[in-house]
Amino acid sequence: MADELKLLEKWSLKVHEVKLGAGPSAGGSREIIFNIGGQSSFPFLFKEGDIPNRPLIAAEVLDCVEDDWPVGLRTDLASVSKDPVEWARKMASDSGADLVCLKLQGLHPDLGNKPVKDAMALVEAVLKNIKTPLIILGCGSADKDNEVLPAISEATKGERLLFGDVVSENYKTLAAACIADGHNIIAESPIDVNIAKQLNILLSDIGMPLDRIVINPTIGALGYGLEYAYSIMERAKSAALAGDKMLAMPFICFVGQESWRAKEAKVSLNDFPQGGNARMRGIMWEVVTAMAMVEAGADILTMRHPEAIKIVKSAITDLMKR
Amino acid sequence: MEKHIVIFYPDNKKAVVDPGTTILAAAISAHIHLNSSCGGDGVCGKCRVIVRSGSVHAEPSGRMTPDDRKCGAYLACQALVESDIEVDIPPGSRLDMSALSKEELELRLRDVYSKAEDISEAMPQLGVGLFQYGPLVVKSYFELLKPNFDDKLSDLERVQRAIEEQIGPRPIHTGLANIRRLGPLLRASGWSITVGLAQNDEAVEIISIEPQDRSKNNFGFAFDIGTTTVSGSFVDLNLKKALGTKAAYNRQAAFGSDVITRIIYAQAEDGLEKLHHAVVDLINEMIEAFIDEFKVDLNDVTCLSVAGNTTMIHLLLRIDPKHIRQEPYVPTANIIPVLKAHEVGIKINPHGLLYCLPGVASYVGADITAGVLSCDMHRSKEVNLLIDIGTNGEIVLGSSDWLMSCAASAGPAFEGSGMSCGVRAVRGAIQGVKITEKLDAVVSTICADKPRGICGSGYIELVSELLKRGALDKNGKINANVRNKRIRKGESGYEYVVSYAGDTAIGQDIVITEADLDNLKRAKAAIYSGISILVRHMDMAINDINAIFIAGGFGTSLNIESAVAIGLIPDLPREKYIFVGNSSLAGARQALLSCQALKTAQAVSKNITYFELSTDPKYMDEYMAALFFPHTDSGLFPSVKY
Repeated sequence: MADELKLLEKWSLKVHEVKLGAGPSAGGSREIIFNIGGQSSFPFLFKEGDIPNRPLIAAEVLDCVEDDWPVGLRTDLASVSKDPVEWARKMASDSGADLVCLKLQGLHPDLGNKPVKDAMALVEAVLKNIKTPLIILGCGSADKDNEVLPAISEATKGERLLFGDVVSENYKTLAAACIADGHNIIAESPIDVNIAKQLNILLSDIGMPLDRIVINPTIGALGYGLEYAYSIMERAKSAALAGDKMLAMPFICFVGQESWRAKEAKVSLNDFPQGGNARMRGIMWEVVTAMAMVEAGADILTMRHPEAIKIVKSAITDLMKR
Repeated sequence: MEKHIVIFYPDNKKAVVDPGTTILAAAISAHIHLNSSCGGDGVCGKCRVIVRSGSVHAEPSGRMTPDDRKCGAYLACQALVESDIEVDIPPGSRLDMSALSKEELELRLRDVYSKAEDISEAMPQLGVGLFQYGPLVVKSYFELLKPNFDDKLSDLERVQRAIEEQIGPRPIHTGLANIRRLGPLLRASGWSITVGLAQNDEAVEIISIEPQDRSKNNFGFAFDIGTTTVSGSFVDLNLKKALGTKAAYNRQAAFGSDVITRIIYAQAEDGLEKLHHAVVDLINEMIEAFIDEFKVDLNDVTCLSVAGNTTMIHLLLRIDPKHIRQEPYVPTANIIPVLKAHEVGIKINPHGLLYCLPGVASYVGADITAGVLSCDMHRSKEVNLLIDIGTNGEIVLGSSDWLMSCAASAGPAFEGSGMSCGVRAVRGAIQGVKITEKLDAVVSTICADKPRGICGSGYIELVSELLKRGALDKNGKINANVRNKRIRKGESGYEYVVSYAGDTAIGQDIVITEADLDNLKRAKAAIYSGISILVRHMDMAINDINAIFIAGGFGTSLNIESAVAIGLIPDLPREKYIFVGNSSLAGARQALLSCQALKTAQAVSKNITYFELSTDPKYMDEYMAALFFPHTDSGLFPSVKY
C-alpha cells in the first residue's frame, strides 16, 4: 500500500465545473440539470483526486437528415428521423442518453438554407418536449450561425444551455450572446492544444467566465486519427491538472458524427463482406470510438445510435464504480 | 523575327524586344528596375504599369481589378508585348536603385559608422583586446642589396630573401606577370621597391611590386552584401581607419526580393549571370566612387573582405545556389578559399585578393559568423544570443564553450514584402506609430516625409499599439465591435486605416489588414519559436541569457518595448538588449584589418553547430504556441499587459 501511494500523482488544479441546464429556481425550465468537469485527476484514477461527475452522453438529433444515411442509422432511427422533436423526446426518455444535442444543419445555405424562425420554433418545441439540458449546434456557415444562434440564445435566456461551436476566427458574436444570456459555449480547435488554449484566452478576454467553456478538441473516429485526439486531450488535461487554468475545461467529443462518417460504419455487407453485419459494424464503430474518448477524458460524448448509447452508458457506469 | 519597340515613360527609355517578351523583361533590358518581390510570378502585384498605347496580352490576375484594366494597368511580369507599345511606370512600381540618401544611410548605419573611424577601437561590444592588427595585405618597402660577383642570388630570390628576413621563413608565392616585370623594375628603381604581401593561409603571396616607397598607399574594402542593401567601407589599411562608408540597394531586388526567389531566378536562362552582374557591377561602382572621392590609385587597392548570407556569397562568386533550397539544404561552399578579385569581376589591383568570410550553413551565412565575431560571442564566458531579423531570422546562442545556430523562416513581412502597404525602410516609410485612446494614429516616417507605406519597425509598433488599445484580439483579428471610422471592412476582411490618402505621398489610404496581421504573426512566431527551441535544446531557460544582440536591417529603429509586446523577442530586462547594427559589415572590416580575426572567423564558423528546425518535432508545437499575441503561455511575457 505504501509503495502504491508513492506512485500516485498529486495535481495542483481541478478542471472547472460547468453547470448544464437551469431549473425554475435559477431562471430556466429544465427538470434535470447536470454538472460536468470538476475532476482533479486523470479519468477514473480515483485515488489520485476527485472525480465528482461522470461522463455524459448527449443524443445527436439533426433537423434534417441526408438521403445517404448509413444503414445502421436508417433502420433504427427511421421512425423519428423526419421529426426532430419526436426524435429528441424519444432519445431523451428511452435510449438512456443524458441530454440532447440538436444540430441545426438545415440552416446551411447548401443544405436547405432554412429561415431563422424555423430554427427558433424547433428549439422551442424540443425544449418543451424534453426535461434535460440541450446542446445547440449551428450549421457551420459562419454568417448564418452568427445570425441564428444569437437569436436562439436570446430566446432561451436563462436556460443555461450549451451553444457551439466557436472557433478562433469566429467567436465574438456567439460568445457575446452566450455571455449576455447566461449560456455555456463550446470552443472548437483543430486537434491542437495551443489553439485550444488560445481560444479560451480570447473568450475569457471578452468576458466569458472560464466555468462556462467546454473544449471541443476535434476528434477522429477509430481508424481516422483517434489517437491524435487522444494524445491532444491527454496533453491538455495534464497541463490543466498541473495548473494551467486556461486549459482546465471539460471536453465534448463529437463521437456520433465522426464514427458514422467512417467508411467501415457506412458500407454495406456486399461491398465489405469481411466486415460482417453492416448495422452492428456501425454500432460497434461508434462504441469503440466513444470508449476511447471516455478513457481520454471526455466529459460529454455526443452519440447517434440508441444501441451504442446503451452499451457505452453501461460501460461508463461500470467504470465509475470505485 | 519581327521586333517590337517598347518606350518607357517618364524615363523616355526604349527597349527593342521579341514579341511575347514580358514588359518586366523589356524594362530590365532598358535598365529600368521595377519592383518584383515575387521574381515575376505575378503574385506580389508590385510591378504594376500602365500601357498607354499598343497591345499586350495578359491572362486575368486576381491582383488586377476590372477598374485597373479599364485604365490600362497590367502587371509588367505577366503582360506580353504584342506590338510597339508605350508604357507609363507609376512611381510606386519603381525599384529605388539610387544610392541611399545621406539621411537614409545614417538611419541604416546609425551607431555603426561615422565618416572616419578607428576600427580597432570601435569594436568589440563585449570584452576587450580581441583586435590584433595585421591587415590581409601589407605593403613593405625594401632597399635591396645590389647583386655582385659575391652575391649572385637571382632577382626573385633576392626579393624573397628580403621578405623572409622580415617575416620569417614562410612559403612565398608570386604570379608570372610579377616575375616577368621584375628584372627591369628592380634595375630602373635602383633596387628600392615596395612589395605588397597578401596573407594566403600559411603562405604569403606577392601581389604587387612597385618602384620606390609606396608603402603608405595601401587600401582595402570591406563589404556586407545584404539581400536588400549592399554596404561597403573604404579602409586605409595602414591607418586602420574606415575613410568612408556607402550603402546602396542590392540591384538583385529586380529579380526577387528574398533569397528564395533569387535562387529560383538563378535557374532561368542567364539568371545566374544577371544576378551575379547586378551585384558585381554595384560593387565596382561603389569602389570607383570612393577612388574618385579620395583620389586614390586603383592599383593601391589591394584586397577586399566580404560578408553576406550564403546565397549572396554564391551569387557574388557566380556559383549556382540551387542546392541551398533543396533538401537537405547543402550549399556548394561555406568556407571559400582566398580568391583573386579579378576572377569574380571586381576591379581593384589586378592581383588584388578577395577574402570571403566563412559561413556555417545554407541559411546561416558569413554575415552571421561576422556578427558573432564582432559581438565577441565566441570569447564570452556568459551565454549570449544574437538575432538577425530578416526574411530568415538567424539566431546564434552560445558562449566561448559552444555556439548553436538556427534559421527561422520568418518570411519577408518585416521587410515590408507581401504586405498590403509594406515598404522597405525608405524615405517616407512609417517607422513608428502611436495610437491614441480614440484610435487615431500618429505616425513618424523616415526623413519625416509624407508616408509612402509601412516598414518593419513601423508594423511592429503598430501591432503593439493596436493590441494595447484593444483594437485587436490576441489572435491578431481586428475587433470589429469597436466603432471607429478607421476600422472598416476591406476587400479581404477588416482593416485599420493608418494614414488617409490625402496625408500620404502615394494618394491611397495606408492600411493594415487582417491578412497583414496574419503574416506578421507568423513571422514573429517563427523567430520567437526559433529562439525558444535553441534555448530549450540546450536545457536552459530564456532568463539564463546574459545579453541579446539585435543585428540586421532594423538597426536601432526597432522599438524593443513593442517587439516584446507582440512576442517577437523574449520578455527580458531591457538593458540586456544591445543593438549592434550592421554587425556583418563590422565583422568584415575586422577581418580586413586582422588576419587573426579572419582565422578566428574560420574557427568560429566551424564551431557553430547548425540546428535544423524543419526536422525538429518540437518546432511545430513551439511555433503554434507562439502564434498568439504575445504568446499562448502568457507567463513567458509577464511585463506585457493588454
